[in-house]
Amino acid sequence: MTTSTPTETTEPQTGPEPAEDTADVGATAVRRTRRKLVLRWMGMPALLALAFGALYLWVSGQELDSIEKRTLNASALTQRVIEHLQLAAVSTLIVIVIAIPLGILATRRSARYVAPVLLALGNLGQAIPSFGLITIVVLLAGVGFKSVVFGLVAYSALPILRNTMVGLQQVDQTLVKSARGMGMSPMKTLLRVELPLAVPVVLAGVRTALILNVGTATLATFFGVKALGYVIFQGIQLDRTPVLIVGAVMASGLALLVDYLAGVVEELLTPRGL
Amino acid sequence: MTTTDMPQATSDDAAGRAEPMIRLDKLTKRYRGQSRAAVDQVTMEMPRGEIVVLVGPSGCGKTTTMELINRLIEPTSGRIYLDGEDVTTSDPDALRRRIGYVIQQIGLFPHFTVAENIGVVPKLLGWTKQRIGNRVDELLDLVGLDPSDYRGRYPKELSGGQRQRIGVARALAADPPVMLMDEPFGAIDPITRERLQNEFLRLQQQVKKTIVFVTHDVDEAIKLGDRIAILSEQSHIAQYDTPENILSNPASAYVEDFIGSGASLKRLNLSRVRDIELATDCPTARLDDELPEVRRRLVESDWSALLLLDERGRPQRWVNARDLDRTSVDLRTAGLPAVATVEPHATLSDALNEMLTSSAGAAIVVDRSGSYQGLIDFDTVMVTAKSIKRDSTEYYRAAKLSGAETAG
Amino acid sequence: MKPMDFYEYLKYNAEPLFDEAVGHVRLVAISIGIALVVGCALGVLAHRSARTRPVILAVSSTLLTIPSLALFALAIPLLGLGTPPAVVALVLYALLPIVRNTVVGLASVDQNVLRAARGMGIGSWRRFARIELPLAWPVVLAGVRVSTQIVVGIAAIGALVNGPGLGNEIFRGLRSLGSPFALNFVLGGTLGIVVVALLFDAMFILLRRFTTARGIR
Repeated sequence: MTTSTPTETTEPQTGPEPAEDTADVGATAVRRTRRKLVLRWMGMPALLALAFGALYLWVSGQELDSIEKRTLNASALTQRVIEHLQLAAVSTLIVIVIAIPLGILATRRSARYVAPVLLALGNLGQAIPSFGLITIVVLLAGVGFKSVVFGLVAYSALPILRNTMVGLQQVDQTLVKSARGMGMSPMKTLLRVELPLAVPVVLAGVRTALILNVGTATLATFFGVKALGYVIFQGIQLDRTPVLIVGAVMASGLALLVDYLAGVVEELLTPRGL
Repeated sequence: MTTTDMPQATSDDAAGRAEPMIRLDKLTKRYRGQSRAAVDQVTMEMPRGEIVVLVGPSGCGKTTTMELINRLIEPTSGRIYLDGEDVTTSDPDALRRRIGYVIQQIGLFPHFTVAENIGVVPKLLGWTKQRIGNRVDELLDLVGLDPSDYRGRYPKELSGGQRQRIGVARALAADPPVMLMDEPFGAIDPITRERLQNEFLRLQQQVKKTIVFVTHDVDEAIKLGDRIAILSEQSHIAQYDTPENILSNPASAYVEDFIGSGASLKRLNLSRVRDIELATDCPTARLDDELPEVRRRLVESDWSALLLLDERGRPQRWVNARDLDRTSVDLRTAGLPAVATVEPHATLSDALNEMLTSSAGAAIVVDRSGSYQGLIDFDTVMVTAKSIKRDSTEYYRAAKLSGAETAG
Repeated sequence: MKPMDFYEYLKYNAEPLFDEAVGHVRLVAISIGIALVVGCALGVLAHRSARTRPVILAVSSTLLTIPSLALFALAIPLLGLGTPPAVVALVLYALLPIVRNTVVGLASVDQNVLRAARGMGIGSWRRFARIELPLAWPVVLAGVRVSTQIVVGIAAIGALVNGPGLGNEIFRGLRSLGSPFALNFVLGGTLGIVVVALLFDAMFILLRRFTTARGIR
């Protein structure tokens, strides 16, 4: 970087600059916005790459004992990541399938008395700690993948439900009226006008639910699905700092990566003009 | 009116030997990264006890110039003297406590009561609670709000006009010799604005502060200013003089343009109702007077209508002979309501406005308590307007001649 | 043996449950107290300097994205087991809502009010303490309330790093998985946390009433 302005150094930044600095001086403004965009998209992956790289170097430098080796090997860790992603993906998909239609139903005129009750119940439910909720589910339904998914779904339904309702409610009612006035059916109005306009808010809810699920999935190790929480908890229980750190950094990195990708998808899916 | 102002102006000049309250010396503000100064070498004096209005188009730097005085904006170069003392580099907070400050948006503290708002600066100056409390009540009285009612209110419980009054009271709290006012009436509806301007003038007669007043409204400037500084870009002073002189003798095409057409109508802003003779021969009667007596008074006068007053002498209704000839006459509802009232310190322009909006041929002059003083009719206003014009034209000619003489 | 019903469980365990609840409240209160001071300071910094704002907000939102178990675990190598790692993790978790609301609250203060205050000669520190902060306070407090809601729930996981609180009761149930008492423990801990959460919320409603200046209520 030849000219380093404060705004640019604020964002986490690693790796060599692309060779676009040779651009002519007159295009400074254009270049700056482009560089900002690059930083916005590249900052997090670069940070994660750095963190994982450092973690790898640090662990390879350690003398691992047999217990540590059992947890910290490529195939075992890959398996943990897969388990983790499966939990998060399956539960998020189920939540989307349940909560978005429910949110749409709750905002129809016929359900206008149900909506506030639903939200109030949901808010109250939010006071239940995730750890307790999943434990109760597991106690009632038994240990295993399905129970954990069930618990995750119960816990992460609210953000999507709430955002779907809010997203639809904040659509300008004059637009709905004019769509109906042009002869669109209620269903067509919903699909062509209301839902597209609610997309950004709904997507934000989906992203929140996804992050909740990735985070809460670390607790699955107590309920019979190892995932990355297993690595962390092994580290705590067996008092093996390398194991603990690998587990914690991988779980955090995964959550940040998923959040980042969700952000990218969110931006791509948001209708132009909004 | 104008003739009485002339000697006044000269006596000012004589007293002007004394140090002016505010003196700006080549005051300049240049923002970083801008080649042109926002305020360029302003030098001017603001005499003690006068209202100096800075007026100019938006972006001319008038607000910046004002904020240089209390150093909300620090000058790049030049000096500021307050009461003879160089305050260019003194402690800005201490300086600001000596200068009252009122802005268009008022900026009352929403979480403070009216009393707490007014008491801010006295408290900073370490006054006792007792003294602050007394001062608050005194100021509320001064701006016409009942202390027992308003002391404990919060700003959101006040109307726009009341907030403005509290803003002025707050600025006056520590009895600062100088007040800065940045379009204080700009955000207020025209009717309330008119009233607040009149109140402000009455207030100034009592407190006699040196006031720097910023506005973009020429009419407001003419109405309020003892002196007006018409500013062009970078706060260059196009003309700095009394309103009379600016109207009759604009220094440049720019000033002439800025004052705009209708300068003679603007002169109506310079004359006040109290300065002209009122018609007092209009027949009046009380609402509770006997009907035959009322009829007799109307018939015996030269007038075609009679003004009915209530028991406290406040105008109620206009009635004519036909209204009184009806078989059953209730004086309370007969004729037309008596609207279009003005107070003595209102300008002739205000009076004309009232007449035009109420479509009555005359405005009723009442004192502060609202009781009837006399009438001012359309003809009187027109005659006065013409005489002002004649006076000023004569003055203008005289000024030209004397200028020519000295040149010769 | 016939499983004890929940009512009996509560009857016989009232005292330890109460102690755990007190431990839970204390843990949350300490963490939120620290987070309030740190979060407000960061919020003020972010409000004042456009340069640090994106960094502060990005870092606090990153912290909230990290899985809670991972955050607790990462504190162990530095602070060992027990209350300290739990407090550190909870403070970090609580930051974002407080920081963000402090920034929003300060930004929502009417600039004209501040201009008037400056013009009246109110010094910068007094202007902050007497004008800016009181006016931003309701928004800041709303952030603290959200933080508290999050932290009350997450504190349950503190039991995994030997922290205090009702999470221990849930953990106890988890360890006795399969025993007839397990559900009672878990229910006791979970419902206890719900009660604590509601109590905190009620407290915030009162706090809002009593700490918001009357003129802006």
